[in-house]
Amino acid sequence: MQLVSFIARRILQLIPTLLFILIVVFALVRLLPGDPASAILGDRALDADVERINRELGLDRSLPVQFAVFVKSVATGDLGKSIHLKIPVTELIASRLPITIMLTVMAALIAVVFAVPLAFVAALRRGRLADSAVRGAFQVGLSMPVFYLGLILLTVFGAKLRWFPVGGYGDGFLDHLYHLFLPAVTLALSLSAILMRNLRSAIIGVLDAEYVLFARAKGLRPGLVLMRHVLRNALISTVALFGLSIGTLLGGAVITETVFAIPGAGRLMVDSIYGRDYPVVQGLTIALAVLVSFTFLLTDLVQAWLDPRVSR
Amino acid sequence: MRILSITALSAAVLLGGQTAATAQERGGVMTYGRYTDSLFLDPVLNDANVDIWVMNNIYETLINPTDDGLDLEPGLATEWSLSDAGDAVTLTLREGVKFSDGTAMTAEDVVWSLDRARNPDNGIWNFLLASVDTVTSPDPQTIELKLKYPDPTILSALSVFNSAIMPKAAFEAMPGDTDAAKAEEFGKKPIGTGPFMLESWDRGANMKFVKNPNYWDMGADGQPLPYLDGLTFEIIPDDATRILKLQSGDIDGAEFIPFARVAELQADPNIKMELFPGTRVWDVIINVRPEIEGRENPLSDEKVREAMNYATNKDALVQVVTYGVGTPLSSFMSSTTPMHSGDGPLFPFDLEKAKALIAESAYPDGFKTSVLTIAGNQDDLGITTALQQMWGAIGIDLEIKQVDNASRTEQYRNGTFDMRTGGWTNDISDPSQITSYFAYSPTIDALHSGWKNDEVDQLFEASQKEMDAAKRAEQFARIQEIFNASGPTIPLYETPYPVALGANVNGFYQIPLGNNIFRETWLDQ
Repeated sequence: MQLVSFIARRILQLIPTLLFILIVVFALVRLLPGDPASAILGDRALDADVERINRELGLDRSLPVQFAVFVKSVATGDLGKSIHLKIPVTELIASRLPITIMLTVMAALIAVVFAVPLAFVAALRRGRLADSAVRGAFQVGLSMPVFYLGLILLTVFGAKLRWFPVGGYGDGFLDHLYHLFLPAVTLALSLSAILMRNLRSAIIGVLDAEYVLFARAKGLRPGLVLMRHVLRNALISTVALFGLSIGTLLGGAVITETVFAIPGAGRLMVDSIYGRDYPVVQGLTIALAVLVSFTFLLTDLVQAWLDPRVSR
Repeated sequence: MRILSITALSAAVLLGGQTAATAQERGGVMTYGRYTDSLFLDPVLNDANVDIWVMNNIYETLINPTDDGLDLEPGLATEWSLSDAGDAVTLTLREGVKFSDGTAMTAEDVVWSLDRARNPDNGIWNFLLASVDTVTSPDPQTIELKLKYPDPTILSALSVFNSAIMPKAAFEAMPGDTDAAKAEEFGKKPIGTGPFMLESWDRGANMKFVKNPNYWDMGADGQPLPYLDGLTFEIIPDDATRILKLQSGDIDGAEFIPFARVAELQADPNIKMELFPGTRVWDVIINVRPEIEGRENPLSDEKVREAMNYATNKDALVQVVTYGVGTPLSSFMSSTTPMHSGDGPLFPFDLEKAKALIAESAYPDGFKTSVLTIAGNQDDLGITTALQQMWGAIGIDLEIKQVDNASRTEQYRNGTFDMRTGGWTNDISDPSQITSYFAYSPTIDALHSGWKNDEVDQLFEASQKEMDAAKRAEQFARIQEIFNASGPTIPLYETPYPVALGANVNGFYQIPLGNNIFRETWLDQ
């Protein structure tokens, strides 16, 4: 019951957040210099053409009127039509956002798979060679630009060894997984470095705690102590960090999608901002905001499970 | 004599052998890597090169530009004539042409398509057909255009994509109340007379075409074109990835190879590195208004501009930015544009002359100014950092302002920029389009520079009515002479289109206007 009201409260909180995001994104894309017509016509733009196109798009109306029209259509689930692609924004989001979600989820899983065991190794061998080696390797990963790392992986594991495809997205679910593996690794590396460092220090902190000492003194097996007491307590802050990082991951997807030629939402967003395709930018922002809020909710639930004090 | 005949014989044998080896082979699907996806496949309402440069594979025009872009050749019309007064065009339609859905192309389709293309409410290209008064078909094989006034560009205009012939009945059967609404539906699954038809379109990922089984033209083997069974465009925005995919054999061709990689790919035995002559010109556009937003503008001084031109080492820029691929400009329009005039580079590098000119100007001690470039564009950055040094030698302190394209276009159109980098490709095989934008002040204030020359304006207006080709060429020669000497630009260089193809690809080309032609492309099987 407590959990249900917790979730309900969080969903209600989402409404003002989304409304705020709507206003900000609506204003921001229009505050950018340039308009959709001159963005696409570029140097060929004639005043008459730009004016006609903007009139056809309703961009000659005052901002409050445009905002009212926008809110009204969003309330009915209509995100409008892409100015340049001439297809409904919902259709675009439905075809491209799942790709980015899949990429992000894969990257998050890979990051966790790397980070958790290595954090334990580093923490338990604190100050020794293994610790330095793990931390050094992740430092390199963290400082390497994503596009460069992506290109190296593509060249080595794609073009040279032919273990993975050289970019693209493939057809069918398994093929998608296969195509998304290298980009997911690229995206995961910096996140796993951050998670590893955080978890390592959390584990070290917990290892020194009195209840761990007590558990050991009781004669519990070391493995059980690690799983039941150390990991669970150390994870609390790491899970919060992990949730916050999902937004960053989605941002990193833009570069990864470009390097690996993946038709995801990140690339769509960048193209739409450059093209001043207002409806697409607005629609995608809303979709991403919902997605990120949902991730935060999930993070909170996991945290509440790890530490019941959180949901009170 | 004997030696000669042996040589001739072996030459004949060699040639014969070569012909056999290069006989066109049929079948296969070619995958072509593009840097970005198409947007909207309607020839009349589109407005971007990503559409214009590929639509010719779906839709065709009555007249086609020749491969060198300098002349015209038959398309869906087999012959045409322009009346002596220049106010009427009669065209004979090709017999037996079918649309990809199997229906026959009729005179009604042609009249409807041209009327739609010239409708002033439709899109940004109708100006090309502004001279047309009526389009009629006196008989099923003949089309007559009556013009409001003599128009020397009308035949070239009929070879531009917006005059493509579309099936009236299929278009009008689309859902929607307006032409634009119908076009949006039609553009998702277009029907034309071209060699290919769109089978599927996964936005942002790929476009898949199959060959049009009803295509009218014949290949060298006497069988209908195209040679390919299919054509796939794969969208690979990153240059390095696009090249990597070509090198690993995943794709058969890649467009927009960065100049920096051309030499490397030329040396690769598995790659055919093509440099197709283009109409692409690169320059720096200068705002010549006496004041910009209340500030005094030194760039309005003609001596200053001349000094900057002489201080610009074009050969060095060609080497540094285009890695030797470009050629210094000999006029503001590319040498591949009909009626281009001028030989030799404009303002050959001469630092002493530049220093003397700046000393004579109103700004002998130099000044501070800025140039707008596109953020992240390597060519732009290469050009402007080089100019920063070159112009530093004559006391000009150049600030490089990096913005995105839409922001730059806004400052450009408002006339609030000092300078900006510029690039242009023609859409029509005629000098009128580039001249109208660059030099004729009523269109866009000569590249939004505020430059105005009455003689140029008068000559351009006359050239748009002049039916004598020789006289028209003289008019354009004089316009180029004036603009090149005192115009609002720093002309830099012209470049070809760098396309890398797999060694198995034959018969692909890009014409100077940019159109990618897959009609006669074939793969070694």
